[in-house]
Order: sequence, then structure tokens, then C-alpha cells
Amino acid sequence: MSLCLLRRWPARCIPRWTVLAGLVLLCGCSPSDRAGLEPGITTLVFKHGKVAGDPRAMAAILREFESRHPGVQVREEILPSSSDQQHQFYAVTLEGKQAPFDLFAVDTVWVQEFARAGWLRPLDDLLPSADRDRYFPGPIQAATFRGRLYAAPWYIDAGVLYYRRDLLDRYGFVPPRTWPELVSMSRAILDAEGDARLAGFVWQGKQYEGLVCVALEFLRSHGSDLWDGDEREAATALQFMRDVIAKDRVTPSAMATADEEGTRHLFGAGRAIFMRNWPYAWTLFQQPDSAVRNRVGIAPLPAFPGYVNAPTLGGWTLAVPSRAAHPQEAADLIRYLISPEVQRRLALEVGYKPVRSDLYDDALFGPQPWLRDVLPAFLAARPRPVTPYYLMISQMAQPELSAVVVGRKTPEAAIRSIRKQTALLLGRSTIQPISSPDEAT
Amino acid sequence: MTMLSARTRLADSTWGYLFAAPALSLIGLLALVPILGALWLSLHRRLPIFGIDEFVGTLNYARLWSDERFWAATRTTLYFTGLSVTLELGLGFVLALLLSHMTSSTQVAPRWVQVVIVIPWAVPTVVSAQMWGWLYHSEYGLLNYLFAAGGIVSEPVDWLSDPTWAIHAAVLMDVWKTAPFAALLLFAGMTAIPPDLYQAARVDGAGAWAQFRLITLPLLLPVVMIVLVFRTMDAVRVFDAVYVLTGGGPGNSTETLSIYAYKVLFQTLQFGYGSTLATAIFLIVAGLTAVYLLLLRRHLRGGSE
Repeated sequence: MSLCLLRRWPARCIPRWTVLAGLVLLCGCSPSDRAGLEPGITTLVFKHGKVAGDPRAMAAILREFESRHPGVQVREEILPSSSDQQHQFYAVTLEGKQAPFDLFAVDTVWVQEFARAGWLRPLDDLLPSADRDRYFPGPIQAATFRGRLYAAPWYIDAGVLYYRRDLLDRYGFVPPRTWPELVSMSRAILDAEGDARLAGFVWQGKQYEGLVCVALEFLRSHGSDLWDGDEREAATALQFMRDVIAKDRVTPSAMATADEEGTRHLFGAGRAIFMRNWPYAWTLFQQPDSAVRNRVGIAPLPAFPGYVNAPTLGGWTLAVPSRAAHPQEAADLIRYLISPEVQRRLALEVGYKPVRSDLYDDALFGPQPWLRDVLPAFLAARPRPVTPYYLMISQMAQPELSAVVVGRKTPEAAIRSIRKQTALLLGRSTIQPISSPDEAT
Repeated sequence: MTMLSARTRLADSTWGYLFAAPALSLIGLLALVPILGALWLSLHRRLPIFGIDEFVGTLNYARLWSDERFWAATRTTLYFTGLSVTLELGLGFVLALLLSHMTSSTQVAPRWVQVVIVIPWAVPTVVSAQMWGWLYHSEYGLLNYLFAAGGIVSEPVDWLSDPTWAIHAAVLMDVWKTAPFAALLLFAGMTAIPPDLYQAARVDGAGAWAQFRLITLPLLLPVVMIVLVFRTMDAVRVFDAVYVLTGGGPGNSTETLSIYAYKVLFQTLQFGYGSTLATAIFLIVAGLTAVYLLLLRRHLRGGSE
């Protein structure tokens, strides 16, 4: 009746229960907490996506804020530039009832969702109603949920048309006003140039959010929409998206996997005549080592004959999570980041376009005259559906639109499928009108 | 005396269980609890954004049954699995035979060969998917460059933006990446086969093919089964390789079950229905594994008789 587990020494003399108890105790051990942070200093954690421009300019602006607010430190925590990944990070973190950050950059299309989930602090005091008139209407609308402001518009984006000024000049063209004009110009230039490596019109055709933006621009510049209105009209507009690839052959079929950067690289290498993209690409094309430096122009997106153009609104807002540790200081930082002086600096040094329409004056146009060409796009920009369901309905639309781009589905079938699925999700046949940003019960 | 020894043995096994208990409970915590949790979640309609969390019974499974996208993803996944596992096993065999041939003829294991063969397996999946993404690039990709230089194609092939090519591009990448794993396991199995069997066979006048078919293959069958189980499980759950390469596009032609589940769970935060999808993946993997194990057991029993 030995009490030992093993027959051999030295384990023989150790009672089994002590071994077991020791193991249990070991499990209970954990490293002790790290020492606290510096006393008397409030550290604000600012989460945002990777800055497309110069990150040092952003850091300098934050240091400036620190010098004006003694006792407050700002720590930037950078997420990948992919907005899908950022959304996933925020959704998982905030749903986990945590907020290891005090303020963060929120894509305009997420604000409704995050506000509905109760993840954001209302920021009404930050933007007095009188002040809101100075902003572009789209971003304010996107950030307002049930009559309250949950995010402060930070910078604006809208789809624009880039064109090769040198090529258009060579053939006596001016930037196209309609989509058919764009196609015929592309055709004419492609035929005359005879360069197999030159593409006519490039845009984002990959199965992702960007494709929804592009498709909406085609649809809405035809008086249609993805989720509302006449199905056949919508299908006609969507057919254009396939036709430029398969029939007119001005868009390479490889665009079915292209995102913003994919098209930007192609155009930036001088391999395309027209490109649909966001304004960020401009500054990159003007770099000293750019192949298209001083050969690029920017114009409003075309429309179908008889309709007005409809660039998709993009851009980012700043928000404070509802469980933030330092909401007061975070609000101060937001107030600073959206102030006219910093908006102007962000525009000139980082390339973020101001959300306030009154800032588009000579002080801005002086150093950046090209913004004159972009301003109409911001004024005409149309938001994507302002609803907490947006990500779900966009997710349903993406594979269908992609199937149209590669010719796997007819536009009619895709539109029908998108509307059927959306109706199934929302329990009704149309998306709530944009004027009342609330979801059905 | 017999009574006494029986009692000690009983006590020993009890102690054994006690000692295994921490490990077992850890496994339970890490594997069983999440599985049961997902199962429980799959019976709910849970949309945290809208504060919805209600028990709906099997409603999600009814939705799954009539969900075209789910069935399309299942077909894609099974096609991907069937094709890639078959090719991996085939290529793995070729590589393993090569390795075992080199080892026996020189008597020294040629280490650099082994290293070269194992490298694709050692590269993280996301990295290799990104690499292949560049290789496949229709404008700048090496593949199209080589094909054009060799005069095989006149126009660049859209490897990733053509729905027919895209899934095969993903299969090719997966085969490149995981055939080494199959090769290593098969090679290890081959070294365990006693060499005198081959000597005897040679004495009897058996050729290389007869030796492979009558000695190597039957004795390797358990290893083959293990390779099949591992690779099938991984292939059915494939996510990172395809997600990085194509994101499920174009037109959902490469959307596997895991990618669909990821989109439902993490992009649109439908935790209930997403868990239903995850449970479906689990059941498919469990079913396939059960089939393999049944086959293996039948084979082993047949071998012992």
C-alpha cells in the first residue's frame, strides 16, 4: 500500500496529494500587474487607420495640441489602412464592452451602426447647430442618429474622374461630361495610340465596399438606385459596368480584382487614360518620381445623358467610445482637430480634405489650386444609405455586383437578388428614406 | 493478496484520472466549451448592434437550408477540398519517393533537399498567399510574363479576376504550400518500412512498380489516412489562403464556407446565424473525418485478420 506514484526514487517519498496541490497552486499563479503610468499625466489613446500621406505631419499636429493642453499626452495607435479590418477591430473590441482608446476615426458609413449599438458618446455640444451650416451636408447627415450627433466630421471624400491631360490635349478632347463620351474618347485615343499596354478607363471592380461606391455612381448618374426605383432602369445603368469591359473593351477585365491602390498604380504608371478614384491619389501623382507628374487632370464624374452626376460620398469622422476613460479630454482633442486652422493644416500637409465648405477659399486654393476641380464633387456627393444596416446590405450587394462585372450574372438577376435579400433582411421592400436615419422596428 | 492488488490498481487509475484532470479540463475549456457555446449561439438570433438577443430554436438552420449562398459556398469548399487534397497527396507521394530514393542511395540524408521541400510549408499562409497574389497579377505577375515569353499565351491571363481561373489559382497555391506536409509524413512512413521486405521482393524478381504497389502502398495506408484526415480538415476550413488571394471574389466564385462565416460573423456581426454557419462547417469536417476513420479501422481489421 505505497503512497508513492512511481516505484523509483526520488518521487517515492513525495505524497501524491502534495504534487497535485502543487500543480493546482501553480495554475493559480499569474504575473503581477505592471506598474502604473506616470502620475498626473492623462494619456489619450487615438486610434485611426494608417495615414495615406505623411505621418509626421499628423504627429506634429498632435504635439501642438499637447503643448496647448499641459498634462495631456496623445498616443496614436495605428490600424491597417483596410477599412474592413478597422471595422472588424472596432466592432469586436466595442462589442466586448471594452474601450482601450479614447477617440477613434470612424468611416462615415459606420456611424449609424455604432451609434445604434450604443458604442458612441453623443457629441452634440461639440458642434453647435449654427456651426453645422458651415459643413457639407452629407457628413453631418451621416453622423446624426435619431436627432443627435454621434461623431464629428473630420475629412471628406468623393469619387472623382482623373484623366491624362496630355493624351486628351493631343487629340483635342476636353474632359467628358457623359459616360458614352468617356467611352468614345477612350476608344478613339486607344485606337490612335495603338499601345496594347494602355487602358481606357480603370475603376475599382473588386468584390468589396469600393465596388458598391462605383456601382452607385453609375446607377445614380442614371437616375436609378441599387435598392429603390425601377428595376429595369437600374439594370440598364448596371449593364454599362459590364459593357465597358466586354463590349466597348475600354476597361481591362483585370479590373474585376482592382481596388483603389491597384487602379492608382496602373494610372500612376501612365497605363490608363481615365480613372475613377478618390482625391487622395492626386498628391501621389505630383511626387517628383511620378511617371504622370503634371500630366494629370481632375474632373467631376460623368453622368448618363440627361442626368446629373452623382459621386459617392466618403470620408471619416471622429468619435468617442461610450466607455472611454477620458471623454472630456478626447472631446477637446476632437474640437482641436476639426477647428478651421487644423483642418487647413491637415489639407495642406496630410491631404485630408476639409469637411467645412467655408474653408474652400483662396488660402486653400492658393497652394492647392487643383482643389477647385474637386470642390464640385464634394458639393454633389451623395451618401450611401444612412442606416445602421448599411454594412449588411452592402455585404449582400458586393458579390452580386462583382458577378455582373465578371459576367457571371445579368444585371437584371443581380438587382433582383440584391433587392430580394435586402427585403428579407429588413422585412420591407425599400430602404428607409435617407431623411430619417432610423431603422424600422 | 489478489484483493489487495486489485484495490491498489483501482486507486492508481483514480489517481491517474486526478492527475489528468487539469489537462482534461483545459482541453475541455479550450475545445469543448467554445464548440458548445457556438452550438448554443446558433439557436439564437443575436445582433448586438440592434440589441437583439432572442432564442429562435432551429430557425437559423431553416434559413441555412434555403440559403443559396451557403450551398454555393459548400460546393466551392468541397470542390476546393477534393481537388487540392488529391493533388497534394499525389505530389506528396512523388516528393516522398524522391526523398526516400536519395536517402537510401547515398546513405546520407541530403539535408538541403529536405529543407527546400519543406520551405513552402514553413512560410506563413498569409505571406505565401500575398506572394502568389503577385505571381498571378495579370499585368506585372511573373506567371503571365513567363507564359508570354514562352509564347504559350498571346494575351495576359486574368488568373484572379476570371471566375473559372480564380478557384484553380487558389488550389494551385494550396497544393504548393501543403504538398510538403504530405511528403514529410509519407517519407517518415516509408523509412519505417523494413528494407528486407524490398530485398526479398527483389529476389523474387519484383520491379520498382510492383514493389511500390505491393509493399510501399499497403504498408503506408495508415499514414495516407492520416495525411488525408489532416489535409481534408484543413482544406474544408480553408480561410486565410483564399481570403488573402481573392477575398471570395469575383462574384463569390471563390467564397468558401469559412469566408462566408467570417463575413457574416465579423463584418456584419450576425452572431447567431454566423454560429450556425460555423456549426455547419464543424459538422461537415466531423462527418468527413468519421468516414476516414471508418475506412482506416476497416483496413486495419482487414490487415490483422
